[in-house]
Amino acid sequence: MRCAPPGSTAVLEEHAGYIAVPGAHLYAMLHRAACPEARALLVGPFASERQFAYHAWVRWARYLALRGIEVLRYDHRGTGESTGDFESATFEQWHADAEALAGWLSQQQPQLPLLLHGVELGAVLAGKCFSGGAGDALLLWSPPADANQALRAVLRRWAGIEQLYESPENRKSASAYIRELEGGSPIEVHGYSWQTGLWRESFTFGIPDRLQHEGAAVDDRGRPVKIDRFGSTAESLAMPYRRYDESQNLSGLYSSTYAWVAGALLLDTHGPDETND
Amino acid sequence: MGPMKQTIEDRELLSLDGMWVTYHRPAGTRSKRPTAHGTRTGVLFLNGLYATRAGNGNVAVEWASTLAEHGYPSFRVDLPGFGDSECDPPADWCGYINSGGYATKVSALIEGLVRKYKLPGVVIAGHCAGAASAIYAAALSRHCVGMVLLDPCFNMSRLNTPKFRQQLNLWSRRSRVGGALSGILDLLKQARRKLKREGLPDNANLKLLRCWKEVVRGGVPVLILRAPSRRSAGLKPRTGEFDYLEHILAAGGPDARVSVEVVESSNHSFSNQQGRAAIPRLTEKWLGTTITNVTTAHTAVMGEKVILMPSAREGKTA
Repeated sequence: MRCAPPGSTAVLEEHAGYIAVPGAHLYAMLHRAACPEARALLVGPFASERQFAYHAWVRWARYLALRGIEVLRYDHRGTGESTGDFESATFEQWHADAEALAGWLSQQQPQLPLLLHGVELGAVLAGKCFSGGAGDALLLWSPPADANQALRAVLRRWAGIEQLYESPENRKSASAYIRELEGGSPIEVHGYSWQTGLWRESFTFGIPDRLQHEGAAVDDRGRPVKIDRFGSTAESLAMPYRRYDESQNLSGLYSSTYAWVAGALLLDTHGPDETND
Repeated sequence: MGPMKQTIEDRELLSLDGMWVTYHRPAGTRSKRPTAHGTRTGVLFLNGLYATRAGNGNVAVEWASTLAEHGYPSFRVDLPGFGDSECDPPADWCGYINSGGYATKVSALIEGLVRKYKLPGVVIAGHCAGAASAIYAAALSRHCVGMVLLDPCFNMSRLNTPKFRQQLNLWSRRSRVGGALSGILDLLKQARRKLKREGLPDNANLKLLRCWKEVVRGGVPVLILRAPSRRSAGLKPRTGEFDYLEHILAAGGPDARVSVEVVESSNHSFSNQQGRAAIPRLTEKWLGTTITNVTTAHTAVMGEKVILMPSAREGKTA
C-alpha cells in the first residue's frame, strides 16, 4: 500500500504480511523507505496495551520511514493480527519471536545498521535481544524493571476502569486480581486471559541489569543505548488510555528521539519536520 | 525464516483503497487458490472507535474466524485513520463518524469485495462507532444485505460538559454515596421525562436516526446485539435515560426485520468470555435464518430499494 503522511508530499510504501516463526505466523508491517540508511524493529507494548498505543506507534513508524529508516513493527504472537494462542504464550516465546524478527530484518540488507526500539514490555524484549547481540543501537521507552512490573501497571489501570462500569459489590481491586492469579485462576484483562504461568514467569523476566541505568549512553560493547522514562503527564506512546479523538501532539518526542537515532546510527539527518507529527 | 507472506492457511491480507483488510477464507475454500465463492454472503467487520480491526483483545479476529469456519467469507477492515490504514484521523473524529463520514469508503470497499470474491451480498457488522458507520454505509451500498450492530449508539457525545460535572460523574461512579445520589438523580430524571413527555434528547443523532429509518424500512434485516447497560436490566436503558431501542424499533415500522438480543454478562466491547462466545454464535444463527437465498439478482432488487437514500446522499457530500 502506498501512503502519503498528512502534511507531506512523500509517498510511503507499506507492506503487511505474515512471517512464519515456530508455532505461529507473526503479523508484521514493513514501512519501506525510499533510500534506506538504517532499519528499525519496533517492539510494541503488552497485549492489553496494544490498541491504546497503536496509533502513535504507526505514526512513529511513518515518521522514521519518511526520514530514511525502514521500519518493521509487528504483533506479538497470540495478539492482534498474529496467530498463535495467547493463553499458552510465554515471555520467552515472545523474546524468541523478537530475536527472530531482528534477525530477519538484519538479513534483508545486512550492511544497514539496525535499531531496536521497545516500549513498556516491548522494551524488556528489545533489551534482552540487544543484550544477546542483536542490533546496533537500543532505544527503550518506559522500560519496566521486569515483566511483572509491566503486568502490574496494566492491572492497576484495568482495575480502575472496571470500577467505573461495575456495581460496587462486583468491583475488584488490582490486588484482588493478583490474589486470583496467584491462587491459580486466570483473569481476563481487556479481553485477554492472563494465566498463572505467565504471571509467575513475569517475575524472572527482566531487562538485563547493565541496561537498567538511564545514565548509560553505551553498552559494554560500545553500542548506543537510550532509555526514556515518561512521567504520568508526559505525552508518549507509553501512555495508554488516551482517547483516540484527543489531540496527541507527539512532534517533540518524535523529533528529539529521531535526532538521537540519527546520531547513534551516524545517519544524515533529514529535514526538521516534514509532517504534522 | 522465509519472506513475508500475504496469505496463510485461513487468512489473506488485502490493501484496498488505502485500507488494510484481513480476509478470513471460508472453510472448504482454503486449499484452492481461486478465491471466488459466489454462494455465501460475506460479513464485513468495521472497527470500533478505540480498537483496530482486531477488536478489543483480538475479539474480532475470533468472530471472523468462527464465521469463516461456518462458511461465511469474513473481512475485517481498518477504516482510514485507524490501525494500519492510511491517513490521520479527522480533527473531530466522533463528529465525522456520527455524520456518516466513512459511508462512501465502506460502500466502495463492499463494492470491491463483492466484485473480487463474487459475493452475492455483504452483511456489515459494526461495534459502537462502527455501528454508526455500518448504518450509513448500508444506506449507500446496493450490496448490503443485512447489518449486525453491536451496542449501537444513537446519540452524539456531549460536548462542552463542564469539568466539575465530569468529575462529579466520575465520583458518582467510584463512590457508594455518589452512586446512591446518582440513583436518586436518575429517578428524578425519569419523573421529569414522564411528566413532560419528553421526546428525543437534545444530543440525539438525528441524521443517523433518519438513515436508520430509511435503511430498515427499505427492507434491510438487522441484528442488534446489546451488552447489558450499567444499572439496568435486560433491554431497558438506565433509569431516566431515553430508550433509543424502543424508539428505533418503532421507527422501523411494522415490517421491519429487526432482531434484538442481549448478551448477558458481556461488557460493552464484547471482549470478555461471554461476548467472545456469544457474538459469532448469535450472528451465525441469524445469518442462517435471515440471510438465506441471497442471489445477485436479489441483491440488486434490494439495492434498488436502499441505494442513495436522502440521508446517505447528505453523508456523501458532507
